[in-house]
Amino acid sequence: MSGDSLPLPLPLSGFATDSCEATTLYRELRKPLLRYLIGLGLSADEAQDMVQDAFLSLHRHLASGGSQENIRSWLFRVAHNGARNRQQSYDRRFGKPLDPDIESIADKATPEQVVLEKEKLRRLGKAILLLTESERECLLLRAGGLRYREIGEVLGIPTSTVGDTVDRAIKKLAEKFNV
Amino acid sequence: MCDSSKRLVAWMDRELPDNEAADVERHVRDCSECRGRVDAYEQVSRAFVACCAAATEEKTRRRLQRWVPLLSSAAAVAAVLLLVFQSTTVKPIPVRPRVADAAPAVVLETAPRPVKKVHRRHGIAPMKTPNANWASFEPPVQIAIPVEAMFPPGAVPEGITFIADLSMAADESVQGLRLQ
Repeated sequence: MSGDSLPLPLPLSGFATDSCEATTLYRELRKPLLRYLIGLGLSADEAQDMVQDAFLSLHRHLASGGSQENIRSWLFRVAHNGARNRQQSYDRRFGKPLDPDIESIADKATPEQVVLEKEKLRRLGKAILLLTESERECLLLRAGGLRYREIGEVLGIPTSTVGDTVDRAIKKLAEKFNV
Repeated sequence: MCDSSKRLVAWMDRELPDNEAADVERHVRDCSECRGRVDAYEQVSRAFVACCAAATEEKTRRRLQRWVPLLSSAAAVAAVLLLVFQSTTVKPIPVRPRVADAAPAVVLETAPRPVKKVHRRHGIAPMKTPNANWASFEPPVQIAIPVEAMFPPGAVPEGITFIADLSMAADESVQGLRLQ
């Protein structure tokens, strides 16, 4: 099922702002948001719900005259907070990034998805498990196309801290990945 | 290790100010060690993104797989029920013996709301007699007329409903009227 072909959720159709812009935003950010939430450990259903909630919140935010600046980081922040609230509410285990059976994912990944050797991908999966929560979050947001400033806004940390964290995380992964 | 290695990731991500970026760029051009690092960091970054995409697709696929057997079972049950329903519920409605001739009946109902009770002078005939006279098996016509249209306001207490059975002959002449 291609997410891009899905019709817009109802809330977006009533945007007071330019609907083309809203459509573009949804198409652009839906998948990165899903990947981020699944990377945090949510199930596909939970992530899907959370993305819908985030866009519903965006609609309310804009309808009530909220700022239209930094919408990307705004959406990620709402999704991030939603995921963390769910963690607290349901006492979920968020300690396992991506998936506990990341190795099986590496096995099933198609050549189109991964142009690298699967052995390297397996090593990467194990290395991701060794990152700190903050490092994982920074890398996941970076993979979603966010700038350091935006990552800082999502996580509530200074931009310089984001730079240091991303640098540290990439170097850790590279050490394991390129042996 | 070069001092520039601390800024390589930020440089890759285009997060450095222009002047710093130019410095790092010059350095990378001249330093093979840092060029190797940049290659490695880019490779691991791409692999991380691929890993996220693979995890998302895998979880989404599993989610769909969970629904497929359920939906298949539901469709199978629905098909069986449909077959059973079709083979058992299509029964001919018994024909009431008719006193009058073969004229179709007309039922006038004076209730303001939709018809609740169905009076049939002629039942719907079973389909097993293809040569039967179709006119004699014509179902009754029901016409609902609001009570206000037939009686002056206040003449009929609330909650009272009239049902009129009107028998008509084939030439549409009224043969009988019965109020209930």
